[in-house]
Amino acid sequence: MRSTVFELQDVSVSFRRNAVEARSLKYFLATRLRRQPKATLEALSNVSLSIADGERVGVVGRNGAGKSTLLRVLARIIVPQRGRVVVDPSRRVVPLLELGVGFQPDLSGAENCLLAGRLLGLAPACIEARLDRIVQFAEIDGFIHEPVKHYSSGMYARLAFGLAFDVEPDVLLVDEVFGVGDEFFMEKCLARVRALVAGGVTSVFVSHDLDFLQAHCDRLLWCDRGRLVMDGNPADVAGAYRERRGVFED
Amino acid sequence: MDRASLRFTWMYAMSQLRLKYRYTALGMFWNLLEPLLYLSVLSLVFSYVNRMRVSDYAVFLFSALVPWRYFEKVVSGCTDAIVQGDWLLKQMPASPFSLPLARWIVASIEFGFSFAAVALILLLVKDHWTMHVIVLPLSAVPWAVTALGVGLCCATLFTFFRDVRPVVQIALMLAFFTAPILFAPNLFDGASVQARLLVWHPLTYLAALFQKPVYAGTWPGPADWLVSSIAAALALTLGIASVRWARSRLYFYL
Repeated sequence: MRSTVFELQDVSVSFRRNAVEARSLKYFLATRLRRQPKATLEALSNVSLSIADGERVGVVGRNGAGKSTLLRVLARIIVPQRGRVVVDPSRRVVPLLELGVGFQPDLSGAENCLLAGRLLGLAPACIEARLDRIVQFAEIDGFIHEPVKHYSSGMYARLAFGLAFDVEPDVLLVDEVFGVGDEFFMEKCLARVRALVAGGVTSVFVSHDLDFLQAHCDRLLWCDRGRLVMDGNPADVAGAYRERRGVFED
Repeated sequence: MDRASLRFTWMYAMSQLRLKYRYTALGMFWNLLEPLLYLSVLSLVFSYVNRMRVSDYAVFLFSALVPWRYFEKVVSGCTDAIVQGDWLLKQMPASPFSLPLARWIVASIEFGFSFAAVALILLLVKDHWTMHVIVLPLSAVPWAVTALGVGLCCATLFTFFRDVRPVVQIALMLAFFTAPILFAPNLFDGASVQARLLVWHPLTYLAALFQKPVYAGTWPGPADWLVSSIAAALALTLGIASVRWARSRLYFYL
């Protein structure tokens, strides 16, 4: 039996609405004096799920359905207001929620690899040993010692991908980041992803690309208005999602 | 904070330090030059205003002004550290301590350079030195710990209440002008209100940790160590507690 990597029980996350006004003293006093409840948006509502070691899970849903919030809860970036989250502490979880997290525009590509690599838990010596491979993957030979602020967006994305895929994650959390770069580089990235998942890396992909999710996942979650409305075989969930155009009616 | 977060914090701080001077012609030399110029201007202005001998006043002024500038830099720098660190805290499961701590590390290294610069000036202007200066590295510890503690508190408060920044600036200004940094604590008559207020001012004791060995040529007294250590422990405890309390809430305010 495969061990559990993530276990979520009745997890709820809500954000305060009218955030700009809510910061003012006027708003604070007005809501207190009128005893108005704070306006909130429930991004996740009583979500329970379990993800086992080696599973390839896709998450689909319309904009604002709570997919990215769910991924941030799994990555332990958001602590939910209610519910319980258990993450296997022995796993190296690599969240790829945005490309180039930790990159500083004025640092060179190599310096950024060391810094961002450290953020992902790798020692500088370890990154230095892999730098040639990262540069080769990213196809930015000759630019690695230039500040990344001078890189084109494609070069920046390639370096970020090169680094993220070279840190040997146990768990990969990916939020819709495959839309950048040219198609040949994307094919290279997808080949690397396929190699990672084939090697048993537990992965969770958030995407609007149902074809990609059906091709690369063995389980699909459908989120709608903060709720987990369907969880199952990718073909079944994708079929239902397409049929109802992403809106789940109770 | 786990070991991995500490390692990242150190590396991030070093990268920030490198970047600060990367595109300047004089590079890291600014670390020495900037405090030298700043303190030279101040000592000339104040010795002229106070009609004191430049050498005397410079030694007095530098002894507490250098640690004060460090304290001020840490507190101001830490205040927006968490808010400006949203690029990290919203994308990675990073420790919120990392960002203020990195600023504290950068300011502490710069403080070391400032101190070297000041030592250079004092060597030229002070007539004679006593062995009491050997205590200075130890004197810096309560300053550093207090600064970090206050900085962490301000960083937490600023995340929830953005009005905190001007309040912090005013509080720093008030603390500076009421503390015996620009003037000697014995300036006032012992029975006066000002003298009694100075007894309750924690900066009086923190400043004495530097003023006594550098200017007066004596060891800091037990009261100086005791009050400074209590202030440092209290500030750090409050700072750590505030960030820990806020940890799970920060995301929603960034």
